[in-house]
Amino acid sequence: MVGQTISLFRYLLLGVVNRRLAVLVFILFIVATLLASYVSELAIINSQNISAALLGDFLRYSLVFLALLLVTSNVAEDYKSKQFERLLTMPLSRWQYIAAQFLVILAIATILSFPVVIIVSFFTSIEIAAYWAVALWLEIILVSLIGLLGILSLEKIPQAIFFSLAIYLLAKFSGVISQMLSESVKLSDGNASNRFAELVFDGVLHVMPGSQAFAQNNIFFELTLLPSELLLEQLLTVCVYAAFLISVCLIDFYRKEFNL
Amino acid sequence: MKRAERPLKTLPVTLLTGFVIILLIQVLVAQFSLSRSELAYKPLSAPLAASTYRIVAMGSDDLMSYLLAIRLQLHDNQSGKHVRYEQINYRTLVDWLNQIVLLNVQSEYPTMLASRVYGQTTNDIKLRIMVDFIQTNFARNPQRHWRRMTEATILAKHKLGNLELALSLAEQLSSQPTEVIMPHWARDMQFILLGEMNEFEEGITIIAALLESGSIVDPDELRFLKGKVLDFQQNLLEFQQQ
Repeated sequence: MVGQTISLFRYLLLGVVNRRLAVLVFILFIVATLLASYVSELAIINSQNISAALLGDFLRYSLVFLALLLVTSNVAEDYKSKQFERLLTMPLSRWQYIAAQFLVILAIATILSFPVVIIVSFFTSIEIAAYWAVALWLEIILVSLIGLLGILSLEKIPQAIFFSLAIYLLAKFSGVISQMLSESVKLSDGNASNRFAELVFDGVLHVMPGSQAFAQNNIFFELTLLPSELLLEQLLTVCVYAAFLISVCLIDFYRKEFNL
Repeated sequence: MKRAERPLKTLPVTLLTGFVIILLIQVLVAQFSLSRSELAYKPLSAPLAASTYRIVAMGSDDLMSYLLAIRLQLHDNQSGKHVRYEQINYRTLVDWLNQIVLLNVQSEYPTMLASRVYGQTTNDIKLRIMVDFIQTNFARNPQRHWRRMTEATILAKHKLGNLELALSLAEQLSSQPTEVIMPHWARDMQFILLGEMNEFEEGITIIAALLESGSIVDPDELRFLKGKVLDFQQNLLEFQQQ
């Protein structure tokens, strides 16, 4: 059973990893390095930290988006080419497909975040560069899993991307939105509709990843932040949320009807 | 399946000519408006609130504060020309600097811009605005901004020619507790300025208090202070004789 899953993972990975991806990633790294070097020339003080932080954030958003595109287009291709129907005629369980996709996500995250440690280390210490690469690896896994859920449920790339980005942004803005809602309750003297909105959002937050699930860019400037502590917190949050997402993916996938 | 396209040659000549003319007009109009807007000085627009920038930063508040500071720093270079600091509205500038500080209180960049960049103005009112900005930030965090405060003292003395202001700034520096780590020369600025103002007696009193406090252990600094006391005593004598 494990052998079958590994074979399926290798087959799926072949559809993702190709020369075009390597060229695209290479171009992304070149653009990010040039941009960081340019900003480093402009900054009068702290130029190393500023360029490293900018490089880190540029790579974070571009690689997360790239991973999202890879995962969603991979599954969308399976829908389009009726791959599921073919796979299910074989002695394969549905969970094996999800497991293989999870392995693909792990592989994509590793392929994309491994060069980050080398590039970022040119601009900052190796310790922070390593932190950023590992934190980015976790962030890519998290967002890709959201993308997997989106594409399995919605079956179309634009909708899945929109859904994933909406969740990603909502999670990133959750702190600010919570603050705004609690302030609005205070300013309106506990108005019922404002309290209701706060209550609903509090409920939504229980099924969203917290801000600690993402790489913390302030580490490039604040020496008091400890990479190990941040990573431990992020790892815990991502593990719990990843398990939750995989269970939702499994439920959704098992409920789907395929015309065998 | 890709739909086949008819060759361009088969299109009506009037349509193609009309398209080329309209394209040329569009390019000319764009060129005219661009060159006109490039010639004029674009004033500094008011900043948004720090909370808005915090939302846009998506957790990268520190990075956002530095990028905003660099954007502000680039404002005085427009169309390849350096804009005179006198043209910049310093009230709006201080608003920008304050928002950047609110976004990242640990950043030294805004006070550095105030002292090293915008402190180069020849307008005394504008320079005073910068000195006040540095002073406010020093009061909030002396450890982080003592260097800028010493620069503000020099600006007040040499560019503004306001010795009273310079002395008041130097006094704020020297009155910091020993927990605020800064070099001796930063604390010494007060009595050096007093010497320049011929206030030798007060200068001697401050140095004597420093020596008696036992906080100075560095032999070079002790020698410098003792030498300064002797200088001041001699100057005082000469001053009284005159």
